[in-house]
Amino acid sequence: MARKQTPLRPYFEKMSDIGKELSEAEVKRGAKNLEAVAEQEALIKAEETRVHEAGIPAERVRSRGSMTIYDRLDYMVDAGTWQPLHSLYNPTENEEGCTGVVSGMGKIEGRWAVIIGFDNKVMAGAWIAGQAENILMITDLAKRLNIPLVWLTNCSGVKLMEQETVYAGRRSSGAPFFRHAELNKLGIPILNAIYGTNPAGGGYQGISPTILLAHEGANIAVGGAGIVGGMNPKGEIDLEGARALIEGTKSFHGKTPGRAETHFDATAYFREVHETEEGVLDGIKDYMRMMPAFDAAMFRVAEPAQPKYPLEDINLILPANQKRPYDAMQILARLMDNSEFMEYRPDYGPEVFTGIAKMDGFPVAVIGNNQGIIADYPDYADGEYPGVGGKHYRQGLIKQSEFVTLCGRDNLPIIWLQDTTGIDVGDAAEEAELLALGQSLVYSIEQTDIPMMCVILRKGQAAAHYIMCGPQANNNNAFTLGTPLTEICVMHGETAAAASYARRLVKEDDEGRDIQPVVDKMNQMIDDYRAKSEPAYGAKMGFVDEIVSLSRLRGYMEAFAGANYQNPKSITPVHQMLLPRAIRG
Amino acid sequence: MSTEVTAPMSGNIYEISVAVGDDVKAEDELLILEAMKMENPIYAPVDGKVTEIKVAVDDAVEANAVLIILD
Repeated sequence: MARKQTPLRPYFEKMSDIGKELSEAEVKRGAKNLEAVAEQEALIKAEETRVHEAGIPAERVRSRGSMTIYDRLDYMVDAGTWQPLHSLYNPTENEEGCTGVVSGMGKIEGRWAVIIGFDNKVMAGAWIAGQAENILMITDLAKRLNIPLVWLTNCSGVKLMEQETVYAGRRSSGAPFFRHAELNKLGIPILNAIYGTNPAGGGYQGISPTILLAHEGANIAVGGAGIVGGMNPKGEIDLEGARALIEGTKSFHGKTPGRAETHFDATAYFREVHETEEGVLDGIKDYMRMMPAFDAAMFRVAEPAQPKYPLEDINLILPANQKRPYDAMQILARLMDNSEFMEYRPDYGPEVFTGIAKMDGFPVAVIGNNQGIIADYPDYADGEYPGVGGKHYRQGLIKQSEFVTLCGRDNLPIIWLQDTTGIDVGDAAEEAELLALGQSLVYSIEQTDIPMMCVILRKGQAAAHYIMCGPQANNNNAFTLGTPLTEICVMHGETAAAASYARRLVKEDDEGRDIQPVVDKMNQMIDDYRAKSEPAYGAKMGFVDEIVSLSRLRGYMEAFAGANYQNPKSITPVHQMLLPRAIRG
Repeated sequence: MSTEVTAPMSGNIYEISVAVGDDVKAEDELLILEAMKMENPIYAPVDGKVTEIKVAVDDAVEANAVLIILD
């Protein structure tokens, strides 16, 4: 009888146990924390509901015999696999309350895909401000993970009243057509389910993917039929012109160009035309079964296993009070398979942890900040001050650079868990080369061509937010998640107010003037920092790709790991990996 | 047998969570020591009764100073 096993079993089958059950005291202490987390979750949920209900009511769409974007996603995506991204993204605060597209990752017929569709409740899927950036971010994800992009196209073209916000510019709504061409060039298929009327920009949205499947009522065209004849251009509309427009519109009975009878029967651009909306989605499912995807067994190093401890515990462990430390291993123990971790150089650079774990049976690398006071460290401080978890020092920066480089060699996707206040400052820190070592970590990430995901567990501040693979790492960072406790800002509001107004305070005081007006301005600045550091604000502005409840983080990590190993661009044979040997010594 | 709970680092007492006479269990929070802009909780190392609190809120303490005695 044949004998089978997972590769490099002595290293991967059983790693070191991490974490422990929470004590009664910890659960008791966490009660207030639960309230703080729940309060933020409620705010996020309300925002998500508002976006979900943007535009005309879903029932009105359904009464016309159509499905909404959310109905289409529900029908197409495998149950329980949808991981939304950019739900609250709306950086220009559009009156629509969103950017008019819905996006995320999900499995279709067992294969991971990046999925995006126009919200047909919002101006029939018009181009509106911020949408192109949203599309570019989500197509970046398909490129980074080398997995198919699935479009649910239903695009009425430019919102003509605001054309200047979408039409022109380097990253305008025309850029996604070049992005689609780029994905095709790279061998990443784009499947397109086409619904409704798609003129002009909508037409290119229809034609630019790889495989086009259409609903029988759909059309795609260079231009729409909305521009009627009979007008005499004068540079303005006078009453005579308005009358002519009324007559022209009433008498227009032409058909919308680019219908199925043209693009199926004549040009044969459409591979399939379906009588029902569901039929188009069934067609997408058929094509998804043809997409390149290794069986997970090809890359798994162990059977998938849930963490030993409940994910919900993280709500008790991660303090809402940003000044409180915690045991980062207790968080990791609630995210990784079987609560196991193989740590790289635990005694060097103790302010950060680096190592290998398993996610849904796949090998992944993890890097994160430890928390709390670290006595007798950093050595270059000569006992002048202790190390503080969340900050970065010389050893930690060197360790992260080494580890990232080795992950590149072993093709291990990296999960970054950020909770950082910055890099150590002062003359001793400069002499310890922290400026160069920070940029050295940036270089190591850029030089390492592997997908990474980042979670801003709590604080993402100063340059440390960048160097720990924040979203600025455009070529590596697949996506960045925030949590209900995320706070992203260059520094605390109090610190910023002191830096901005200290000299002014001195001047006013020296000259015998009342300092209260300056104090008021400082507090105004602190309030402004607070409001603009909150999770919902970060999601709206694109500081993160999604705010996710702490108990839902693992779902995104499973999606990341699964998608990474679905069709990787480069493979390291597991038995030839170096990192597990470097760790064991 | 009494157990001395000491400061792991110098800092200021930010909050005291127990009173003399309280029964505490191992890992219960006894007080918060503010140092390096962090609120560092000091936990009971063992089960016991608080017999003496040797510090008050806002006191500055040195590393290894005795903070609380448990019996």
